Amino acid sequence: MPVFDRTLPEDLSPALRRAFVGPDRDAFVQARDRLNGAGYGAGIGRAFTSAAPRVAAHAGPDEAIALAGDASRLAIKARPRVAAAYLDLCPVIALKLDDATRFRQWRGVIGRVLAQSPAAAGVLVAGGQTLLDRLGLDPFAAWVETGLRLSGGENRLALAYFRLETPESRRILARHAGDVTFPALESGLRAFYTALWGHAPALREAGTETAQGPVRRTTFSNGLILMPSAFAGFRGQEAQLYRAAIAHVGAHHAHGGARFPVGQLKPMQIAVISLIEDARVETLAMRDMPGLLRLWAPFHTARPDGLATAQALFAGLARGLIDPDFCPAHGWVRKGVEMFQAAAPRLEDPAISREIGNILGNDLGQIRVQFDPLSYVVQPAYRDDNLGLWDLPDDPESAAAPQSFDIDTADARQSELTDAPQDQKHEQTSPDQIEPVRLMAADPEAGRKLISLPEYDYHAGIERDDWVQVTAHDPVSGAPGFWEALRARHDTTITRLQTVIAASQAGTRRRLKRQAEGEALDLDATLDAAIAVRANRQPDPNVYARIQPPARSIAVHLILDISQSTADSAGPGLSILDMERDAAGILAGTMCGLGDDLAMSAFSSCGRHDVRVIPVKAFGAPLTEATGAALAGLRPAYSTRIGAALRFAADSLEQVSRHRRFVLLVTDGAPSDIDVSDPEYLVADARRAVQRMRARGIDALCVSLGQDEGQRQTEIFGRKSCLRISDVATLPGKLSAFYLRMTR
Amino acid sequence: MSLDSYRLDREPAYYPSADEIALYEAAYQMRLPVMLKGPTGCGKTRFVEHMAWKLGKPLITVACHEDMTASDFVGRYLLGPDGTYWQDGPLTRAVREGGICYLDEIVEARQDTTVIIHALTDDRRILPLEKKGELVHAHPDFQLVISYNPGYQSVLKDLKESTKQRFCALDFDYPAAPIEAGIVASEAGLNRQDAERLIKIAGKSRNLRGKGLDEGASTRMLIHAGRLMAAGLPIAEACQFALITPITDDPEIRSTLRAAVDACL
Repeated sequence: MPVFDRTLPEDLSPALRRAFVGPDRDAFVQARDRLNGAGYGAGIGRAFTSAAPRVAAHAGPDEAIALAGDASRLAIKARPRVAAAYLDLCPVIALKLDDATRFRQWRGVIGRVLAQSPAAAGVLVAGGQTLLDRLGLDPFAAWVETGLRLSGGENRLALAYFRLETPESRRILARHAGDVTFPALESGLRAFYTALWGHAPALREAGTETAQGPVRRTTFSNGLILMPSAFAGFRGQEAQLYRAAIAHVGAHHAHGGARFPVGQLKPMQIAVISLIEDARVETLAMRDMPGLLRLWAPFHTARPDGLATAQALFAGLARGLIDPDFCPAHGWVRKGVEMFQAAAPRLEDPAISREIGNILGNDLGQIRVQFDPLSYVVQPAYRDDNLGLWDLPDDPESAAAPQSFDIDTADARQSELTDAPQDQKHEQTSPDQIEPVRLMAADPEAGRKLISLPEYDYHAGIERDDWVQVTAHDPVSGAPGFWEALRARHDTTITRLQTVIAASQAGTRRRLKRQAEGEALDLDATLDAAIAVRANRQPDPNVYARIQPPARSIAVHLILDISQSTADSAGPGLSILDMERDAAGILAGTMCGLGDDLAMSAFSSCGRHDVRVIPVKAFGAPLTEATGAALAGLRPAYSTRIGAALRFAADSLEQVSRHRRFVLLVTDGAPSDIDVSDPEYLVADARRAVQRMRARGIDALCVSLGQDEGQRQTEIFGRKSCLRISDVATLPGKLSAFYLRMTR
Repeated sequence: MSLDSYRLDREPAYYPSADEIALYEAAYQMRLPVMLKGPTGCGKTRFVEHMAWKLGKPLITVACHEDMTASDFVGRYLLGPDGTYWQDGPLTRAVREGGICYLDEIVEARQDTTVIIHALTDDRRILPLEKKGELVHAHPDFQLVISYNPGYQSVLKDLKESTKQRFCALDFDYPAAPIEAGIVASEAGLNRQDAERLIKIAGKSRNLRGKGLDEGASTRMLIHAGRLMAAGLPIAEACQFALITPITDDPEIRSTLRAAVDACL
């Protein structure tokens, strides 16, 4: 006999009887009894009995009864207390969503997380309401989907994501929540800094945590400026705040002196001196650009009569030093303002910061104000963390040093930084002048970071921004004499093609007769007009002839798939990559013959963080021996992320002003990558990339090489935009005919 | 037909930045062709006008564009009531009658058309009118001046080496801040202090040259903004109207420029 309480349907409480009528009541009792009998503990059954009527009121009895199954799965896969927490959460969510379909959708999200990472489901249940309040249902679902995909089924990664422990998960959350984050503002900030101070900053997102927690303030060091991914609590003001922050760093760079030695200074003195130095450089910057006050002042929110805590006094002093209308109540702040004003004639001298700061720091010690350096955060939010002002002793745990390490493993050139103390001159070096002192522990194969691209998740129905990182790798020179060898292999075809090209070119220049304007008179029209004049009729004014300049205006970005599968054999002694190379060489020759603008890149990928692009030829560059050597030097490696390659090529075409623009992909198979298990995912993404670029007026064509099976190109590009070549012998002819047909 | 209507009757104001006037006078004395390089709106055309006035020569200006053909320079047959007749183009008129011919933004014209100036710009000083079967010998006063802006031209639009090497060249840039402030103040009828604020703003936009903007705000733009201010517009609105909106369509750069203008005020 079970020990739990078993009530008959007619003995249910009035609330339950109201919520479940007829067959639903029996279903509810059965579900509750099953739950009670499963041995998860009495709490689960009670939680279900309590939650079900409330959920039924907002999402219907079916959804309420289904909670028993959810709770059972959660209790088995996660823990019974997670199931209890879930049942407690459900009525709140049902009330909030107030719609059966939406509630089912929310349950589905939790269910998917449970299936993939039970521990993460617990985290999501615990923080579910807050997240849902912040995001709304659809963005919440999208954020969760992103997390599941990102963790790739690994419990540890999923937990870190859903606990918001990784900067990436916070950034993605911020993006789904519609907050404006650093990546969205980065290029504008770079331009703003350049406009104000005349040189481009080395600006990065502070992507890692410090020992003290997430990065909350800007920091600068060794010529590099690191800005937080987001500033919490400034919704709607993000653009202004980031601008204020970068202008403040600019003021330090323009008007700061050498770093201050720390010596025997106490943390409180360091904080006060830094504060005076902040005000000093800002005042100097405002002499040149008075409008900066309007940028900075709104973030100084200290009140004149604030509490006498260190944080409040500092905020008051900061405001008093730059806001002439601020009348502080506290004597210490007043003293600081008066001393700063008295030092106005010597404002260019950084030593005054130290002098005033020392005195004020001592005063603060005497009035016994408590200062906790660990919890202290510089105020207002736009100011930097002051680490760049001080000549700190080498401390492996210090906040600034490790950040300059993991930010930029992709860009070895820019991250070759020294962490040795440097003088202020170094602070002003431009990104390319940063002196390489110590090599990073970066991947020796790492290329230059080129661009971050979005990717489409067909399952979630969203395009995730900055999801794929593209890096550029310099081409490796292969055997010389590529063009001669190509000509030797495909002599007949090339000659035939050249004849075709010559003919098509001849057709592009046309002599236009009977024009209103032109370089010469059109003899026939002139005679007609002269006759008309003599016959006292109105002559036709179109009496000129002119040559119409060539109308062909085409740019093509040819992208070659060099994934590992292109090493497969395509015939005796011939790999698919060899075939691609020949195809590319012949096409390049054809296009340059036609006067089309051509760029060629090869691509492969090793996960979404490493889509590698080898630029073989740039737009506008001539087709040279070096291009041939770069083609010959291509080696098969890694996987095929077609969507990213297409987006990269389409972006490059945006810069080219031609009437018709194409991306032409030469590939051997379906898209695949090491971090994607779902075969549909990359196909859907590539299809989306094609749709998006066609909407931008850039067409996408595909030439697929090798055997038929497993190829998905027609799904991605459409039947008409695809050409399949399985026999190498037919390659050159088919290829160029295809190209000529598509570009006519 | 006389070129009197092409003579300047009043002195165009010009504020020299260096010794460009002396250099130009030397080139004119030897009738050497001159090339003026520099960003748009920095005073190239004004300089030529000033020199033409100073030398007392007529000035024929041709603004080149990409549809321009050789006929547009040298002339063409037209149809009149009594049959066809030849109409000299602007270059031929200047060559025949002795004026300064100024081909503005020469690289905009099609490359094959620019070679017609070759025989004019070496010691032959002749202009062959192919269609008419005439060889025009240049008037002793004739001089050819061309201008181009190396900044925004792509590699496709460059002068042929054989064209470049026929010219003496003067580099122009925006004048130094105090001179430019003086120019803006006097051309726009603005007080010196406001003119200096405009120059500071222009400096910020010029910092973005090649980093979001093809060109920074030109002196001409500043004069426009200054005139708007003289007409009563506040400086921020004048800058928005005359500088920011015309110079770029990129919303991000516009917003950056607005913020930079705001920082200067």
